[in-house]
Amino acid sequence: MLTIETQHENGHDILLLRGEVDASNSVILDEAITKAVADGSSSILVDGAGLEYISSAGLGVFMSYLEDFQEKEIDLKIYSLSDRVFEVFKILGLDQLMRIYPDKKTALLS
Amino acid sequence: MIKLPPIHIGKLSLLLAILVWLALLFVNLVRLVGSLNQMDSGIAIEFTWILQTLFYLTVYGFYNYSISKSTQSDFLNLIWRGVSTGIFAVAVYIIIDLFIGSLGESKLASDPFLETFFYHVRFGLLTIFLISTALLWQHLILYQKTKGVVKQWQAYEIAMLIAMFLVFFDRGVSDYPFFFGMVLLGILAVILSTNLKWIPYLTYKEKWKSLLFLAIIISSVSYFVWYTFSIEVERNYPVNLTYNLFLISLFWFVLVYAVLSFLVTLFNLPTSSVFEQKLTEAINFQRLSQSIQPEENEEQVLDILMDSCMSAAYADAAWLSMTSEEFPDGFFQEHFIDRKTREEIADLIEQQKPAQEWSTEKRLDKLNPITLRLNHPKFESVLLVPLVINKSVIGKIVLCKEVRDGFNKEMLNIISTFGSQACIAVENHRLLNQAILNERYQEELKIAQRVQKSLLPTKLDHNHTFDICAYSNAADEVGGDYYDTYKLDEDRYVLIIGDVSGKGTSAAFHMAQMKGIFQSLIQLNLSPSDFMIKANAALSNCLERNHFITASIFIINTAQQTVCHSRAGHVPTLFHQKKLNNSTYLEIDGLGLGILRNMQYENHVVEKTFTYQSGDILVLFTDGIVEAKNQKSHQFGYERIRTLLEVSHELNPLEIQTKIIDSLHAFVGGDGLIDDDYSIMVVKFTHSNKES
Repeated sequence: MLTIETQHENGHDILLLRGEVDASNSVILDEAITKAVADGSSSILVDGAGLEYISSAGLGVFMSYLEDFQEKEIDLKIYSLSDRVFEVFKILGLDQLMRIYPDKKTALLS
Repeated sequence: MIKLPPIHIGKLSLLLAILVWLALLFVNLVRLVGSLNQMDSGIAIEFTWILQTLFYLTVYGFYNYSISKSTQSDFLNLIWRGVSTGIFAVAVYIIIDLFIGSLGESKLASDPFLETFFYHVRFGLLTIFLISTALLWQHLILYQKTKGVVKQWQAYEIAMLIAMFLVFFDRGVSDYPFFFGMVLLGILAVILSTNLKWIPYLTYKEKWKSLLFLAIIISSVSYFVWYTFSIEVERNYPVNLTYNLFLISLFWFVLVYAVLSFLVTLFNLPTSSVFEQKLTEAINFQRLSQSIQPEENEEQVLDILMDSCMSAAYADAAWLSMTSEEFPDGFFQEHFIDRKTREEIADLIEQQKPAQEWSTEKRLDKLNPITLRLNHPKFESVLLVPLVINKSVIGKIVLCKEVRDGFNKEMLNIISTFGSQACIAVENHRLLNQAILNERYQEELKIAQRVQKSLLPTKLDHNHTFDICAYSNAADEVGGDYYDTYKLDEDRYVLIIGDVSGKGTSAAFHMAQMKGIFQSLIQLNLSPSDFMIKANAALSNCLERNHFITASIFIINTAQQTVCHSRAGHVPTLFHQKKLNNSTYLEIDGLGLGILRNMQYENHVVEKTFTYQSGDILVLFTDGIVEAKNQKSHQFGYERIRTLLEVSHELNPLEIQTKIIDSLHAFVGGDGLIDDDYSIMVVKFTHSNKES
């Protein structure tokens, strides 16, 4: 189960993820990000506090935007990931490529 | 033991009937001799009555048997039997009279013996005709019988049986019991005669035939009545055989039923076409409800539907229009209407408001056939029948009639039923086709599964210094996990394990690509990090954008007892050191393949070399094992695997692998399925090269 809540805050689009991202629902995450981009957002924040699990398919969604966002100069930041979920990002090496922060404050400051 | 021949009831009763008749004749002739010579023949009158009753019973037995045996039970054949018996009996009556008439005034003409003989012949024939016809009537009365009707008939039979014996009590005197019996039997006969359910089942032509037959029977009965009760009465016979309650009642019954059948058939004639129509509808309904055979197609069902609707509504013309993807302009099937007229009428229909509302109706359960008036020179009313399959309108049938308001409520009902039945048949047909198609896909998947299994090595390369085993399981038919080995030379071996993101068919295709890339690159004798850089470059060109592959590669040098290792985003490998007696995960950075699709990847891959001792163990696996969840949503996790290896490091690789997989299944739960592909490879260094 995955629910995504979208908030707008000072020019940032915040996606609050709750539940699990796997192959069956990764498309919801993809749609949420695509929509934010289509709406002209230049800063997307992903709140992963409620994220319990992310599968390789979910990682694939973030990964697929890496180059695209670099070109369009769109910021994508992830914060408040649980240790276990952060471990998944780390093993794959995505922590080197993506901007992952311990909490919202540090994410906004950087 | 003497074997008795099987008793043939029909023949036996026929024989008995003839014998009884002869006995009766003999007895009465003897009595005649007695009365002529004015002396008592000494034969009591009861003797005649007993023989007479016996004769009735044997004739009844014979006909009861022969009618129930007859295979041709259709109504006209039954009635024809009565007709033929009647005609035969009447013919014999007339021939006898002609014969006597031809004798003229001769002595023989008034010979009492001859007269008595002919009287007995007439009595025999009359009895046969009446009893056989009554039994035929029984069959018609008991058509579609109910318990009540059967009871009525049994009551009538018992009453008739009593009537046979009445003569023993009233001694031939017409007294109160006689009249009372006659009234009672008469009423019973009339009640029974109201059972005429067979008549509606006759077709129009058959009704005419049966009218003819019934007319013949009625005239025969009338002739017999006239002959028996007006001519015979004047003659003088030694004993009266015909004036008794049984025969009179039988006369009445046969006549009443014949007359009633005649009248009802006659009045049924004009409505018989309606009944036939209903029967045709029932048959059409049955044809429609039969599921379509594989060699048939939807058009044939719709064709039957159109024919059925047209005949049910007496429509003059009709067409079927289908909204199908194959025919963007619509698919039409026209019956008794040309294209020009159809288009004219279609335009006229579209101009009408009810039709517009009807065609845009969203609530499909409210979509019923509707009738419209038209201002068209030829057709003045139309009926629109929707065809709804699987909650969407696939087309409509338009029935046209040359009269105004030509469609009534009954037609609408039946046509609506036809329509939904046909749609169900078509839907079933489509579902069946779908099922066949699915079956084929399943077969294809099985082939894919077999092909993919063959992509994994059956024999793992190794030498005598280490043992190795591996296992892989896909969550679906095919999966994205991959492992392989390669022998570089006598002392150097390559191990690889990989996992494509996602699962199922797309993962399986990428897994096959990975195998191709691995097998080509490995022959270049690359270092682990160079291998990953080249593999990343190769995979970047063929992976979908949101797909990546994680992999770990190990180059084992058994001469130097070293392992050179690189990791590309793959779950860390577990390493057990015997000397330290602990298991740890190899810590090394590395980015998954296909994530950075440019030269920057080089910065994200490293390689490490470490040494091993005999008794050390490497356990390679994929994230399917780590992330497997139990019913409480807890993951199997890294720590469990590590502990398992520590306690079971003394076992051989296959035992360790089995232990881990068994624990995994025990953790997930009895029937809990692991919803990701998982693979494991266990390597145990047995003894060092130096020792050997």
